[in-house]
Amino acid sequence: MSGSAGRVLLVEDTPTQAEVARSHLRELGHEIRTVETATEALAQARAWDPDAILLDLELPDFSGLEVLRTLRAEGFEAAVIVITANASMNTAVEVMRAGATDFLPKPYPKAKLVFTLQNAMEKRALVIEKRALETELQAARALTARPGFMGFIGASPAMQAVYRTIESVASSRASIFITGESGTGKELAAEAVHRASPRAGRPFVALNCGAIPRDLLESEIFGHVKGAFTGATESRAGAARQADGGTLFLDEIGEMPLEMQVKLLRFVQTGSFQPVGGSRPERVDVRFVCATNRDPLAEVEAGRFREDLYYRLYVVPIELPPLRTRGADALLVARAFLAQFSREERKRFRRFSPEAEAAILGYPWPGNVRQLQNVVRNVVVLHDGGQVEAAMLPAPLLRAGPRGAAAAPAASAEPVPPAVEIMPLAEMERRLILAALEQTGQDVPQAASLLEINPSTIYRKLQAWRGPKRAAG
Amino acid sequence: MTQNPQNATYAAVSAIDPYIAEQLAQDFPPADFRRIIETFEDDLGRLARQLEAAAIAGNWDGYQRAAHSLAGAAAAVGAVPLEQAARVAMDPRSPHPPAVVVPVIRDRAQAALQELSALVARADGR
Repeated sequence: MSGSAGRVLLVEDTPTQAEVARSHLRELGHEIRTVETATEALAQARAWDPDAILLDLELPDFSGLEVLRTLRAEGFEAAVIVITANASMNTAVEVMRAGATDFLPKPYPKAKLVFTLQNAMEKRALVIEKRALETELQAARALTARPGFMGFIGASPAMQAVYRTIESVASSRASIFITGESGTGKELAAEAVHRASPRAGRPFVALNCGAIPRDLLESEIFGHVKGAFTGATESRAGAARQADGGTLFLDEIGEMPLEMQVKLLRFVQTGSFQPVGGSRPERVDVRFVCATNRDPLAEVEAGRFREDLYYRLYVVPIELPPLRTRGADALLVARAFLAQFSREERKRFRRFSPEAEAAILGYPWPGNVRQLQNVVRNVVVLHDGGQVEAAMLPAPLLRAGPRGAAAAPAASAEPVPPAVEIMPLAEMERRLILAALEQTGQDVPQAASLLEINPSTIYRKLQAWRGPKRAAG
Repeated sequence: MTQNPQNATYAAVSAIDPYIAEQLAQDFPPADFRRIIETFEDDLGRLARQLEAAAIAGNWDGYQRAAHSLAGAAAAVGAVPLEQAARVAMDPRSPHPPAVVVPVIRDRAQAALQELSALVARADGR
């Protein structure tokens, strides 16, 4: 939908405002209808089904907010951009919660309206496209399961969904918000989005917001001019400039200080920024991809992440599943790492033994793919041979038990009821021998055979157990 | 925003925000810009009449509605001093009665129109 014409309903009761908006939109080729009241807005939306609605909040009959709520309640998916002169943060939050696609304070320059409208329409088109794709591909999903995608390894349904989302959104310029536990491959997903996009030939610039000191973050993102601060002996382009035409990946965005979030919000809204110490804004064309291992909405609610920035960036979410929910993917990933590290370390490892595979499948992998990667590298470096044996794996993997235990995350430390009653070993031994004798009709040689011990061991044990009883009696 | 409609310091300097108005003049072809200003002129005439009629009739709702529309129209073309005066009229807590505010609005509207017309003429000559 980007750049293509659509139907735009303009809801504005002040003719001057309406004329300004119409003039802005006219040359974009959109079909425009204008209404002045909330009642007319509802009627036109229902009858005409516009792609986007530019909605003034203060209307003569009732509030634009009510129009928005009514349309959303009726299932309307048109992109709704609320325009108002009362541009308070509370208003912005209220309209976004009511289902607005975006929020535009008056007066607005043409570039901002065009940018906001195109983004909103693109977002709506993505929603529609996503649904169509889901319907179309539902039957073919089993057949089209891929063992890997753009550096990812995994054939599980959860990863197939990730691959499809990346493919669907790659060609758009909509912002991507990647969530997932540590080690699930968030940077790999960001790179995949970039590589699958028309921006693939342009730079992919990754910045870890959690790894950069607060004081340097602004300069790292926006660059600085010579003399901007002590030590700034040369002007330096920041990540935003370096990523011009490409993709800017902001990892661990939840770690970004609030004051920096304000500057990032302005950049995301306008596409322009000011280098530290600079006097003129610079404009770039970047696609934003962000990632966090935290729950972004919980961060918003806790006041650590700006809500307006959240809504700007959280356009297309991609949630990377933890390895423990990906079934046999753990084995696919382990085999791929084994081949890679054997090659790199010049070792002969070609496979895992069945016991080693069972241990890998049975472990919950709290550190996800990164932990699995480290384990396999460790095995390859420390051992030799053609096959990885279970004994070569770290002890926690062997203690994890069968597959069923893997379904629970490592963090949930619910005690698992033991399969057998735990008791002193000597008592267990006594019960086992007596059970074998019971099963064989007190045939000591046969019981010894079942227990794979010498019959004399049973006689000796029986003698010993009788002894104390006599003594006691 | 000043709460004193008679504080005309800003208006004495300029009746329009040069950044917003110039931006409009640059964003649009001269014909479109002219149409916007003509629409604004129509709005001003109509809304000023509604405002004055409502003030005379003691129709507070009508007065506020007209002031709200005036503020919106003025903001769209960068007539900031006019917008400010209209917002004073919209404000139910404002201590300034319509008898004080309406003449200020009228003056600022006239000044804004003059400057915008000059801008249109310049745009036509580009």
